[in-house]
Amino acid sequence: MTTRIQRRTMLRGAGALLPLPFLNLMESPAKATEPDAAPKRFLTLFKPNGVHPPSWNISGGSEHDFRMSPLMQPFQKHRNDVLILDNMGDFGFSSHANSTRRFLSGHHANTKAASMDQLIADRIKGDTPHRSLELTTEGLFPNQIGCSYISYDENGAPIPRESDPQLIFDRLFRNPLASPAHRRRMSSILDRVLEDARSLSRTAGSEDRQTLDEYLSVVRESEKRLQNMQQAEPSVDVSRFARPANAANLDQQVESMLDMIELALWTDSTRCVTYMLGNSNSRMIFDFLGVTEQHHYLSHFFRNFSRTNLESLLKISLWHMEKFDSLLTRLKSRREGNGTLLDNTVVLYGSGMGHSDNHTVTRIPIILAGGKGMLKTGRYVRYSENQQLGRLHISLLEKFGIDVDTFANSEEPLPGLNGSDFKPYQERAFASWIKVEGTQITVQGRIRMSDNLDEAKVFFVDVEGQPPVRVEVAFRDFHNFNLAYHCGTGITLTGTGSTEGGQHIISKVNELKSVHGRKPGTQNG
Amino acid sequence: MFSSRDISVAFLVCIAISYPFAVAGADFDVHVKPLLSKYCVKCHGGEEANGDVDFSKISTTEDIDTAFETWESVVRHLRAGTMPPQDQVQPDDEERNRFFEWYQNFVDNVEVQPAVFQSRRLSANEYRNTLRSLFGFDLQVAIIEAEQTIAERSMVLKLLPTDPPGGSGFQNDTHQNPLTTIIWDQYSFLADAALEQLFLRERSTQLEKFTGSESVTEMTSEQAERLLRLFLMRAWRRTVPEADVEQVVSKVRERNGAELLTALKFEMKTVLMSPAFIYRGLLVSGQHGKRQSVDAFELAERLSYFLWADMPDDQLMSLAADKTLADPNVYATQIDRMLASPKSRNLADDFAVQWLALNEIEHVSDNVPQMVALKSQPIDFMHYLFTEDRPLLELINSQTAFISPHTSRLYRGDAAQMTKYVKQKGIEVEIVPNQKIKLEHAVERGGILTMPGVLAMNKGPIQRGTWILERILGQELPEPPADVGQVPPNNSDEHLTFRQRFEQHRSNPSCAVCHDRIDPLGFALQDFDNGGQYVRSANYRAPKRRKRNELSSDATSQIDTSGRLPSGESFADITELKQILSTSQRESVLRNIVEKTMSYALCRRLKIHDRPTVNLIVKQMSETNGTWRDLIHAIANSVAFRETILSADN
Repeated sequence: MTTRIQRRTMLRGAGALLPLPFLNLMESPAKATEPDAAPKRFLTLFKPNGVHPPSWNISGGSEHDFRMSPLMQPFQKHRNDVLILDNMGDFGFSSHANSTRRFLSGHHANTKAASMDQLIADRIKGDTPHRSLELTTEGLFPNQIGCSYISYDENGAPIPRESDPQLIFDRLFRNPLASPAHRRRMSSILDRVLEDARSLSRTAGSEDRQTLDEYLSVVRESEKRLQNMQQAEPSVDVSRFARPANAANLDQQVESMLDMIELALWTDSTRCVTYMLGNSNSRMIFDFLGVTEQHHYLSHFFRNFSRTNLESLLKISLWHMEKFDSLLTRLKSRREGNGTLLDNTVVLYGSGMGHSDNHTVTRIPIILAGGKGMLKTGRYVRYSENQQLGRLHISLLEKFGIDVDTFANSEEPLPGLNGSDFKPYQERAFASWIKVEGTQITVQGRIRMSDNLDEAKVFFVDVEGQPPVRVEVAFRDFHNFNLAYHCGTGITLTGTGSTEGGQHIISKVNELKSVHGRKPGTQNG
Repeated sequence: MFSSRDISVAFLVCIAISYPFAVAGADFDVHVKPLLSKYCVKCHGGEEANGDVDFSKISTTEDIDTAFETWESVVRHLRAGTMPPQDQVQPDDEERNRFFEWYQNFVDNVEVQPAVFQSRRLSANEYRNTLRSLFGFDLQVAIIEAEQTIAERSMVLKLLPTDPPGGSGFQNDTHQNPLTTIIWDQYSFLADAALEQLFLRERSTQLEKFTGSESVTEMTSEQAERLLRLFLMRAWRRTVPEADVEQVVSKVRERNGAELLTALKFEMKTVLMSPAFIYRGLLVSGQHGKRQSVDAFELAERLSYFLWADMPDDQLMSLAADKTLADPNVYATQIDRMLASPKSRNLADDFAVQWLALNEIEHVSDNVPQMVALKSQPIDFMHYLFTEDRPLLELINSQTAFISPHTSRLYRGDAAQMTKYVKQKGIEVEIVPNQKIKLEHAVERGGILTMPGVLAMNKGPIQRGTWILERILGQELPEPPADVGQVPPNNSDEHLTFRQRFEQHRSNPSCAVCHDRIDPLGFALQDFDNGGQYVRSANYRAPKRRKRNELSSDATSQIDTSGRLPSGESFADITELKQILSTSQRESVLRNIVEKTMSYALCRRLKIHDRPTVNLIVKQMSETNGTWRDLIHAIANSVAFRETILSADN
């Protein structure tokens, strides 16, 4: 392929040892004439521990006219390259492990089949040296092992993850397959040790000679394998890539891994990568951000509420968003054919749950990026109803030419990814009112979390023409009636409370009903 | 079964030294073989020989010799009356005595001999430690070890396959664990990774240790030469003949810049991939076909791989180089120095963990801090015994324990001795190091047998009894038959305890052979539930129903911990059993300790020629109430450790 040869020429032209991450940004001279035959890639970035919904959710807006939320600010500059999906997920609650399995497997009960990334890898791997890469940052969590894996093989068994950028680099670019130079070096090493071992063999006793024979046969076998590896010149002179430095903290480790992902995709060493920024219940401590509490502890921001804790949680979430930004920036910096590497890569970014304290699986963060010609980006697609993740997977599989009738428990593709028609979320009109009988207050209106970060435990029910009813309840009520699930929708709520200066305050929930008949409690996954 | 290698070793020994068993062989045919045919071969012979013991295959003097552990077991069974099984024809007293006499004669004729020298590949653990000591840094995997997660931090242990236990039962016995192309590739990968690191700016201290103290901004060929000389000597763990050194250093002479670096790294990699680095003992010197003391560098290596599972450090190397290491005072001082070094932690982490199967504790809990707390108790305890000159028999009972907030509840009033642990805000649960305490209240916890993790990894009396028999008393048990079935529950009109039902279940005489030995030991621990809690403790918390093993749990008042050993001693509970193990059974316990430690030290299965040494050390230790330090010194001074026979030249 012409594009490949040009890539190598350009790399050589770039001179001495190339520093990362700013490897290079080169114009492709083939832009005008070459048809874009670049391979398609698939890449997933997983964010642990859900989100703080008021900071993540987009309020109002429409497909083309919307404002990105506070947590989306770090990748605001990529607005035209992302497709923000909303109302994804259809469970009232979920365990960490189940929500993790669902992320790429569609449903937590889909435990005997491959996750969708593996189906895609099988389809697009071509003759790349590495079929796929499954990457992570954090150790295994044995207490709920499912929290540590998003990629599963054809039997539904978890695929081991790799966390070390240096190891990835060496596997991709230092192995004898990677370049003739590495093959030559390995070959001379083999020659030398063979020679040394032979001379040792001449002076050894009979016992040692057996050991040496075993050694020599392995060396000869290695030589033979090396000869069989002789193949065409690779597309890129990988010997000029710099090996990642030792990481001093999580941020450096992740940045190095993003370098590796960028290089792996760009050199066409692999076409499918999944990367977990942490286990789905990540216990990591972000000391480099000045945070000393565990991420999981902070993510339960209702129960462990303090303004400081919430700010620490948001710092961590913003860092996750910055890594997504960093990834998109890298993929865009690589020219390929007429466009960029991002154009030829479908990126799926997201988390397994929405509200991180009661593990609501509605409005979970799901963002697609890149995939020119496969996705229509620059849009905000909020579906009218909560969507199964399996529907998204069917659609993405279709984009890669894999036709499946069903995936997990889903039977229909998710419309709208490439600009096709979808049924958008619409505010449905309903009457709102307040009824007070002694200490019992009944209110019908739209429930939302307080915008005030000092009030992470406070909800409001908006009623037309009246001040909103304040709902300030214990965790038990918040969880049992799943206030987080109903946020943004119409409800009828009866509770006990008081009224002070015209402000109704409900301190205990007795009954909660969705105006539109939505029932979260029966869908515990 | 014999491998061709075993036969050739035996053959060589025959030629090299006078073989003492010809007499025993003739006697065997006359006195022992007829007895075996009459009473044993029916079950222990042919294709389906019971318990992996096949007497029909034993005919040559080498066979008799190799089966020496079987004869020991025969004596034990004949004395205890456990074999032949009670429902079979029994030998009379004259026949028994005839066997005992033959055995005594057989044992008395054994002469102390070192083993024929065999090189072996470094185990993964040894390779990791050696690479770390050679370079001065550890190759670590970049991964975040958050609380409650587990990760392999060592790049070496992550990449190399886990070593199977060798004939000795220990992973450092790699004689039957060949090099493969997969391992070769991983060695190559690890060598590259280590070399890459060594030349990074942040590793300049380590690099300067090789090149001399000057700063190495632009390496000169003189510096490279000095580096290579030192590297070669340290990697091969001995001084290297000048001609061989010259061959290597000539490759970097009169070069500079990038060319020099490339040549240097190439030479270093060939050293790391050479057999002399990845195997132990290939360069050993001496006269072939002769018994002799091992050379000084081999002695240094034997010590350092025994006590540290690591290469000799500079001090050992220089003592080996000036030939003073073998001086008795120097040698003893070195052993004490090595035991005092943090590297001796390996004895607990590697030797004790394998000997006592402590990795099983990892299956006890999914909660990582809890699991680590349980597993670290016996490891910290063994480290204490090894390095603080504690008597060998403290293994059975001790006043010292190691506890953390995760285990302190099981130690009742003794937990008050701990410094208070305060959990930092925002940490849900975390690993907390153990603290050393003196047992005053929870005295039932003294020694290895009643540590919570050890009790929890062996559930029920049968697993526990088997563990004590195999790991503490050193007896080998065959696999149980496949068709043993389950202990039946009580019928509606029965009120039998689990122990009574179990005894009915295994009343068949062929079960008795093993269960007479296993059961008294296991049932003595019935005061501890499957989680390792002491059920007679005031703060006992009964486990949730679904976690309880219904079959083995009786009401506390019904528990019967009393028992009688096949050798005759009776006891009421575990405290009395510990007493028996430390007194009338002490020789069995000590023998097992000596054998296990010695096989680990020698990285091989013990042979008949080691028998007199084992017997002597057991006797010494028993008479003097010897300590672990005494034992380590005794082993390090034994013929098997200090001497070798180099096989004859072809």
